[in-house]
Amino acid sequence: MNRVLIDLKASLKMFFRSKAAVFWTLAFPSILILLFGAIFGGMDSKYSLYVQDLDQTPSSIGFIKALNLTNAFNLRILEDPAINATEYALDKELSYMVVIPEEFENDLGMANATIKFIYDQSQTSAAVVMGILSSVISEMNLRFASLPDDPQYFVVLQPETIAPKRFSFMDFFLPGMIAMSAMTTSIFSAVEISSRYRETGIFRKLATTPLRRIEWILSRTLYLIFVSFIGMAVILVLGITLFDVKVIPDPLSLILVVTTSMLFSGMGMILSRFVKDPETAGAAANAITFPMMFLSGSFFPLEQMPEFLRSIATVLPLTYVNNGLRDAMIMGEPQRAIMNTVIVAVLGVICLFVGAWITRWEED
Amino acid sequence: MLLGKNSIAIEVDSLVKKYGDLTAVDSISFTINKGEIFSFLGPNGAGKTTTVEVLECLRKPTSGRAYVLSFDISKDQDEIKKRIGVLPQEFNTFDSLTVRENLQYFAGMFGSSVDIDSLIKLVDLEDKRNEQYKKLSGGLKQRLGVAMALVNDPEIVFLDEPTGGLDPKARHEVWNVIRGLKKQGKTIFLTTHYMEEAEVLSDTVTIIHKGKIVAKGTPEELITQYGQRNLLILKNTDKVAVPLIETLGLEASFDSDAGDVKVTLNHNFDMSEIVRALTLKQVAFGELQLKRSSLEDVFLNLTGEMLREGETQ
Repeated sequence: MNRVLIDLKASLKMFFRSKAAVFWTLAFPSILILLFGAIFGGMDSKYSLYVQDLDQTPSSIGFIKALNLTNAFNLRILEDPAINATEYALDKELSYMVVIPEEFENDLGMANATIKFIYDQSQTSAAVVMGILSSVISEMNLRFASLPDDPQYFVVLQPETIAPKRFSFMDFFLPGMIAMSAMTTSIFSAVEISSRYRETGIFRKLATTPLRRIEWILSRTLYLIFVSFIGMAVILVLGITLFDVKVIPDPLSLILVVTTSMLFSGMGMILSRFVKDPETAGAAANAITFPMMFLSGSFFPLEQMPEFLRSIATVLPLTYVNNGLRDAMIMGEPQRAIMNTVIVAVLGVICLFVGAWITRWEED
Repeated sequence: MLLGKNSIAIEVDSLVKKYGDLTAVDSISFTINKGEIFSFLGPNGAGKTTTVEVLECLRKPTSGRAYVLSFDISKDQDEIKKRIGVLPQEFNTFDSLTVRENLQYFAGMFGSSVDIDSLIKLVDLEDKRNEQYKKLSGGLKQRLGVAMALVNDPEIVFLDEPTGGLDPKARHEVWNVIRGLKKQGKTIFLTTHYMEEAEVLSDTVTIIHKGKIVAKGTPEELITQYGQRNLLILKNTDKVAVPLIETLGLEASFDSDAGDVKVTLNHNFDMSEIVRALTLKQVAFGELQLKRSSLEDVFLNLTGEMLREGETQ
């Protein structure tokens, strides 16, 4: 254990002396969070919208057609009327969905029709979708009003939230940044150190000492967890002080950062075993982390992405880190966070175990 | 396994190391006595570094046996690692740690309570103790490497190309450190491509070629046995000296371009015979130059190859 502490101490000293390492670990995510915070106003891509039509009348079908005509949505129709829409939205982690109630056509004639909009307030995209829906309904009401026999048709949008609190984009963004920071810190550092130590012969020198490979890997992982925590602290301070993000102190978020570091440092070790040249190893790490950053919901809600990209997100480990951190730190949903934490922890243990198993200090 | 041979530092018996079909080390055997400087010479790909790495417990042998301080390299790696110090070829350490911090780090790995300051003094790095490794010159880096090989107060020090790439001054400084280690009673296993280095430092030399040992002995023994005879050059000398010298039973020739007479000596005392004969016959001769046979000649004779920097393995 003493050797682990010695190696850990030396690693931290070297980290703080490397301006580039400090920059990429702390300043880079800070700049990203500031930039995204400043420029994010709205998003204008096509939204996936689930619609449950409980009325199944020409009027309800007409409303769905009107939604389609906006060209703003990829509509997905829930065929089964027995499904409880709110539970479905929670279960599928949908940010929003539309329910056309039974008797919609009847109520329309009595100027009493409603369209239910179930939505998650933490998602900025929900506000955008609600705005589009309101426009569609207003347009419909205007047309009804201009009908010659004045039937007094009228539709009202009835919003219903599925999250108890009001969340901003920054609330969504901050956990994503913490997850991204922990991932990049861990994988790049693991790749860089392994390939550089191999290339410069430091591994060979270490192999001549009583330091065991497993002790070195343990120290390295502790070091990366520590640096990930520093990154997390910086992001939290910026998010809380500048963007008024309300963070719930939940130990699960700390466990998630630990397991994320384990997962990606293990992945880095695996990478550097197969890609030995430091530059190529760095490029390989980029090839893994960049798509993951954008496809796992770090910066943008998954609902905004096409279906096939969302399917990819389900197999990306960072998706579970993002979801877990949001559930734990922002949404106050520890039960949902536990599931994500377990997934990340299992993957973390597997990756670290495989990484440790295949890491070699010398070729034989 | 303890052999109980207290005077032997390293014993290698029929050691073989194969990489697939390639036999890098082909059944070599040698012993190194405690307290001696042993030089291991060989051209590129001869199997030197492989042998050293097997002895340092970094690689497993394919067959054969080797004992370091009577410990079996196949079974007692932990015991061996505690007792040896290693300066690897093209040595490197943590860039942004200082001289002192690097030494403390590696001392900590051994759980050693060695006096870091005295180690710094030994390699004459007192002015640089708080300098980061990356800021040191090549010679200073090598000296730190030697100091790092000593943090556990080892009985055997493996120095793989300790002066590679250094200027002559820095090289001599490292030689002085190595001589100091010998005075402390340490056994030195030296791998070098500098023949002069092996000649001036070594007690014994072993030459490996294509995985096999082709010669071993003291530098003098090897030069006597495998080197060429010494050559005497008489500058600006008339060619009439040639038949005169040949009457002494020596091979002589006239270099018409340089105007020199060249004589292959059987013994160094032949020189006085030549001078006396020429003086008696009043044959004028210029400056006398003696070209001694060296370990380089031995190496060339045995391997047919020159050792060049950067080509050692």
